[in-house]
Amino acid sequence: MSSKNRYEFLNERLNLSRRSFLKTTAVGSAVLTAGGLVELKTAKQARAFAYEPYPKDDQLQTVVTSCAHNCGSRHMLVAHKWKDVVVRLSTDDGRYQRDGYFGKDDRVEPQLRACLRGRSYRQRLYSAERLLYPMLRVGERGEGRFKRVSWDEALDFVVEKMNHIKNTYGPTALLDQSYAGASFGVLHKSDQIEGLLARFLGMFSCRTSSWSVPSYQGTTASSRWTFGQTEDGNEDDAFAYCKLLIMWGWNPAYTFHGGNTFMYMRKAKQNGCKFVVVDPQYTDSAAAYDAWWIPIRPNTDAAMLAGMAHYIFTNNLQDQDFINRFCQGMDAGTMPVWAQQQGMENFKDYILGKYDGEPKTPEWAARICGVAAEDIKKLADMYANTKPAALKASWAAGRNAYGEQYNRMAAAVQTMTGNVGKLGGSAEGVGKVWHAEAVAYPYDQYSNIWFASIKSDRWAHCVLNYPNVKREEIGLWQRDDATDGQIPNIKGIFWQGSDWFNQLTNINKEIAAIKKLELVVCMDSTITPSGLWADVLLPVATHFERHDVALPWYKGHYYIHRPKVIQPMGESKTDFQIFTELAYRISPVFGRDFNPKASRDYWHIDDNVDETYLRDWWNNRVMPHQGVDMSWEEFKQRGVYKFKFPRPLVAFQDQIEKGIPFKTPSGKIEILSSQLALIKDWKKTMYGYEIPAIPKWIEPWESLISPKTAKFPFHLISPHPRWRTHSIFNNCGWLRETYEQEVTLNASDAKRLGIKQGDIVEVWNDRGRVVVPVYVTERCMPSVAVLHEGVWMDLDENGVDRAGNPDFLTLDEPSPAGAFAYNTVLCNIAKTDLEHRPGWDKLATSRAHVFRRDL
Amino acid sequence: MSETIEKAKIKEAVKRRKLETYTPVKPEVQLGFVHNNVDCIGCRACEIACKDKNGLAPGPRFRRVQYIEGGTYPNVYVYKVNMSCNHCAEPACLPTCPTGAIFKRKQDGIVDIDSTLCIGCRRCEAACPFGAPQFDPVDNLVKKCNLCVDEIEAGRKPYCVMACMMRVLDIGPIEEIWDAELETPAIGPEEKVVRQVKNMANIELTKPSIGFVPHSKGRVK
Repeated sequence: MSSKNRYEFLNERLNLSRRSFLKTTAVGSAVLTAGGLVELKTAKQARAFAYEPYPKDDQLQTVVTSCAHNCGSRHMLVAHKWKDVVVRLSTDDGRYQRDGYFGKDDRVEPQLRACLRGRSYRQRLYSAERLLYPMLRVGERGEGRFKRVSWDEALDFVVEKMNHIKNTYGPTALLDQSYAGASFGVLHKSDQIEGLLARFLGMFSCRTSSWSVPSYQGTTASSRWTFGQTEDGNEDDAFAYCKLLIMWGWNPAYTFHGGNTFMYMRKAKQNGCKFVVVDPQYTDSAAAYDAWWIPIRPNTDAAMLAGMAHYIFTNNLQDQDFINRFCQGMDAGTMPVWAQQQGMENFKDYILGKYDGEPKTPEWAARICGVAAEDIKKLADMYANTKPAALKASWAAGRNAYGEQYNRMAAAVQTMTGNVGKLGGSAEGVGKVWHAEAVAYPYDQYSNIWFASIKSDRWAHCVLNYPNVKREEIGLWQRDDATDGQIPNIKGIFWQGSDWFNQLTNINKEIAAIKKLELVVCMDSTITPSGLWADVLLPVATHFERHDVALPWYKGHYYIHRPKVIQPMGESKTDFQIFTELAYRISPVFGRDFNPKASRDYWHIDDNVDETYLRDWWNNRVMPHQGVDMSWEEFKQRGVYKFKFPRPLVAFQDQIEKGIPFKTPSGKIEILSSQLALIKDWKKTMYGYEIPAIPKWIEPWESLISPKTAKFPFHLISPHPRWRTHSIFNNCGWLRETYEQEVTLNASDAKRLGIKQGDIVEVWNDRGRVVVPVYVTERCMPSVAVLHEGVWMDLDENGVDRAGNPDFLTLDEPSPAGAFAYNTVLCNIAKTDLEHRPGWDKLATSRAHVFRRDL
Repeated sequence: MSETIEKAKIKEAVKRRKLETYTPVKPEVQLGFVHNNVDCIGCRACEIACKDKNGLAPGPRFRRVQYIEGGTYPNVYVYKVNMSCNHCAEPACLPTCPTGAIFKRKQDGIVDIDSTLCIGCRRCEAACPFGAPQFDPVDNLVKKCNLCVDEIEAGRKPYCVMACMMRVLDIGPIEEIWDAELETPAIGPEEKVVRQVKNMANIELTKPSIGFVPHSKGRVK
């Protein structure tokens, strides 16, 4: 029976007695109109349905839209609204796409079901934390006292300060800290490098940009060096074809990283795929895929991978033919002549210890990473002998000191086993393969103008030490003009859709730095912990209140239309409106150039202009470039377009099967990076410090093998939580009741410290101190503590964070390639009497309990 | 919820309730849930969809994804048991209701509460061995899962089922579920369905309409 028939059959079964139900229902008399609104009648007769009056989905207006944040996916949300109020949200059920029907859900066009965060969106939309009016600071910075002002007053304040700062301190004085956080679409985009704010500040001729990406800079650097591009991933349905899947620090059950990855992995499991999880935690992904758990000390991944490489080389398990054809620098035979002439090291001889007398044996690795040598050998054996096998090298293990070495090492191991470019294999670091047409806003010579560009987590260091800062300390990007090497004199910050003050490393240092600034602007839909430190708060309409199109960016291949589901709340405006009006206030020419399709009326009416931008994007980019035959009108009417591919997309398939060169300088997979090998003066690169041309194990500045453990015996990692997208949604009660901000500890550690489940502890090191409850479990490696990032900081009078934000403990010392060292943290833990404050409000509900069951 | 309490109507209902003898409803078809304890990633999208659908504040949770973990490092196990109301064949809540507000539907066996008759006495809450009825202090009523009866009437499935990102939660005629005959992604190839898992209340108490694909550690001998 086809699934379509199946549903019709079920419908009959489920609708056994519709008549008898209608007899007692109050709204049986309501007139249904197709897709339109109906008047609900409040009846006085007896009601069988539990909560009447209760507007049912079919009586409400249905509007397809999507989630909007930077979690890696952007799944469908379907708003059911009554007049201008969203009554509830549902998600894709197969009905909305072309040729769709209720229940359609197959490999080619799976449903794009929203996660728990998306489903809770009404709580964010209608939250008490919504910013509805422009506000100006009245107290000290960070005190959190504001007054409501008119848009005129707020915008004039910003313009006057901007002009003053630029004229006084020059073109590097305003720092762009936009991020993809609260505002992401093809039109209203807050992007770190080329979003609306970048365009605005660039055209204003005063912009220092932040170049390193917090999530995955180690990974992108590695993939660019090794494969010549960051599109190194497979589409999610390719995971169904794996025979072995090694989840290296990857927890798709938490991150929902893209389309339907976790669901395709379930298909792989049903097809007999074996799963391995290399992670300090026995994650929910490990549980759901029944994986072999290999607990590993944080930040030692490159050593374990080197140990695996040693086993593979010494047992001659590598795919030598593949290496010979596609690699540069994997071994002596694949070294280019120029590198041989300069006596450069190759990867195999490094692993065998030819250069430093230290063979990177599994036993050597075991002493570093804490995994038994036998397990390293067993995993290497499995990986080398199972074809195809996917080693999924996640971003988390790269968010470390020398994180790029882990990513490079993983790429080398993926390559030596010949798993690159093959269905069921994986070259994944970054993990993207399919690209959306991502830009509908004006995109021209003004898109990314910058006068200085620094490593994103070094801004506080730069502000506090200006002008006594060396360029390598802040990872200053090279410029081709006379300003190369000039340290930016940062005097103001713009936050557009970003909560970076809460999310970057070493918050206490940021607090010291922000006091030195003259202008802090926060544009967001809700108040945020960053917003509390701003001088002016500009209320931005959420993606429910403006016209846009959603695009996936990690995995998945679709567009979702986002109409203005409801009118903007309060006095909120779209960020595009705000920048346009600011530009007009600076000069009419600026305004026109910034938003060429609009007049100044855009401030009041944005519908036609936004429609024009989006329609042009669809007609001129999406349809011709991506072979889409659905008209803009049909797309708007349906709400979703799903691409259909004849086969799962796999990165580098053409390079391997058709011999097309890789996009590296040599056209090969560069285990020896030509780019790195040729750098002479590291200080003049944005890296600042030397990076080896082949992947190497480099000991991080903090780890469990460091002597610093005498004082700080726990290694703290701060993965992404499931109940927030970074810091977004932390104010939603529904989500805070499902999971709690807590530090995870192994039961033996807790016992030694006299700590029981639910006790409150302090977690501290030299950089800061936070207060959180404890989750005691056997699922975590001893000496490792896990504290999820993104909780809204809540400082007490002594500077202790009562909410438990791990970034009070992280160090603002990025890896040379720019990777944030979020997971390179040692700390100590002890019981405390201090109160934990999980949110800015109080919920009268207990946490979701974990039941401990003995065998 | 109802806006006003109609006292006369409730009194009449109580009188009627005292006169009537309760005879269990034998539904024409009993609908029930199936949940895969192993493949569930425990994300709780179903819980949030349920709360949104039913307009609940933090506090009452009609659907509860329970984490069960055990073993000793590094040999550990984790699985999830996901339950809302089991729409039991012999619901323990129903006979405890002093106003007769709780009823079981003949056509599909759904157990529901008439909120216009509920007085918030919470007897049903105490009677249910699975924790299905939940007190809502905002409305001063007991509420619970009604299997999204409005969606069922419209020919669709409950919000929790349609929210499941892993497709491990589903509904169907319960006999088909127990025989693993229901065509559903919740039950994988070769997988069997059980009616009882470890540490769950004895199913003989109420005969709940739910089936599980159990974890090896959750099996009952």
